[in-house]
Amino acid sequence: MRTKLDRLGLAVATLIASTVAADAHIIGTRLGDFYAGAAHPATDPQDVILWIAVGVLAGSLGASRGRWLVLLFPLGLLAGLLIGASVPSLPGSPVMDAGLILVLGLLLAAGARIPATALGMIGFALAVLRGAANAGGIGPETNLPLFAAGLACTGYVAITLIMAITIAFRRAEAGDATAWRGIALRAFGGWIAAIGMMMVGFALASHAGA
Amino acid sequence: MTPSHRLPALAALALTALVQPALAHEQVGVTGGLLSGLLHPLTGLDHMIAMVAVGIWGAQLGAPAIWVLPITFPLVMALGGVLGVLQVPLPLQEPVIALSALVLGAAVATRLRLPFAAAAVVVGVFAIFHGYAHGAELPRSANPLAYGIGFVVATGLLHLCGISIGLLLRWPIGERLIRGMGVAIAVLGCYFLARSLGGIA
Repeated sequence: MRTKLDRLGLAVATLIASTVAADAHIIGTRLGDFYAGAAHPATDPQDVILWIAVGVLAGSLGASRGRWLVLLFPLGLLAGLLIGASVPSLPGSPVMDAGLILVLGLLLAAGARIPATALGMIGFALAVLRGAANAGGIGPETNLPLFAAGLACTGYVAITLIMAITIAFRRAEAGDATAWRGIALRAFGGWIAAIGMMMVGFALASHAGA
Repeated sequence: MTPSHRLPALAALALTALVQPALAHEQVGVTGGLLSGLLHPLTGLDHMIAMVAVGIWGAQLGAPAIWVLPITFPLVMALGGVLGVLQVPLPLQEPVIALSALVLGAAVATRLRLPFAAAAVVVGVFAIFHGYAHGAELPRSANPLAYGIGFVVATGLLHLCGISIGLLLRWPIGERLIRGMGVAIAVLGCYFLARSLGGIA
């Protein structure tokens, strides 16, 4: 019995030792471009920060003001991607991206009560800009509809989830005992604005050095 | 193989399974930038104690300082970071950073009750110097955005740590403990100040 257990242990240990990273080669399949589009925003920290910033800002304003973004954001990404794919030489602007991070962070930190229309316009404009930036991931062999569908799906899922989590976080506010939740969101806005301000500095320094 | 040898052999095999590739000098790209930014405020003891002291002092001062500080401090610090990135000359960086630990530690130790505006100015001036040091020491090969995210988050978490420590004020023994921490921070600040002025090798 003891010998069997030892052998089993040895076999398990050997199997573990011989493992390698899983590689499903999904990019090589027909739907690879869908996943390439879906994953592309995660490869750029600017996308990650801007999406989180606009999602948290919309969520902090409540479901009634933010719900249009669920539709407008993925549509903006699609529009931007199409523009970026049609005009490949479209110049990106690091200063504008950094400025957007700063403005969104300041709006969140200040607890600004933005009207739903303005929020929708900001979200759509941001999505167009980032959609155009994501067009950089399209190669000559890329299937554009699949890539676009992947990007739009990620945009829809990400913005909906971020808004929902923020709304759930704020909804739990009930009096002084949980007032820290609103403060925490504003502090988070301060962090985002600080990152944006740093980025404006980096972008200006790079521009001056170029 | 005797039973006494099997266990070490199994352990060796299991350890082999857990090894990861060594990644030295990896301060490049997004990962390197994020890691550098996160570690920069944590690896400099003078930065770390001053940030924690800001949080504790904010908790001692109460509202609105306790919530205004974590919102505005990163912004002012980022302004200093921009000056650092742009290589704008800022004299006496190291002595002022050390002085910040000394002053903030003393404020915590004595439970100094400054008017909010005065406290904000004191903390804001120090924030510029701390941010400057972070911006000026950006690893050139690292992703700047990831570096910025890292150091802002690390600084914010240090404030949060200070504010959490400040919750001990609810108990009398906690207040004594916090004042003791203030003394320790001020003493360390004295040491860093003497070192930055060349008094200690």
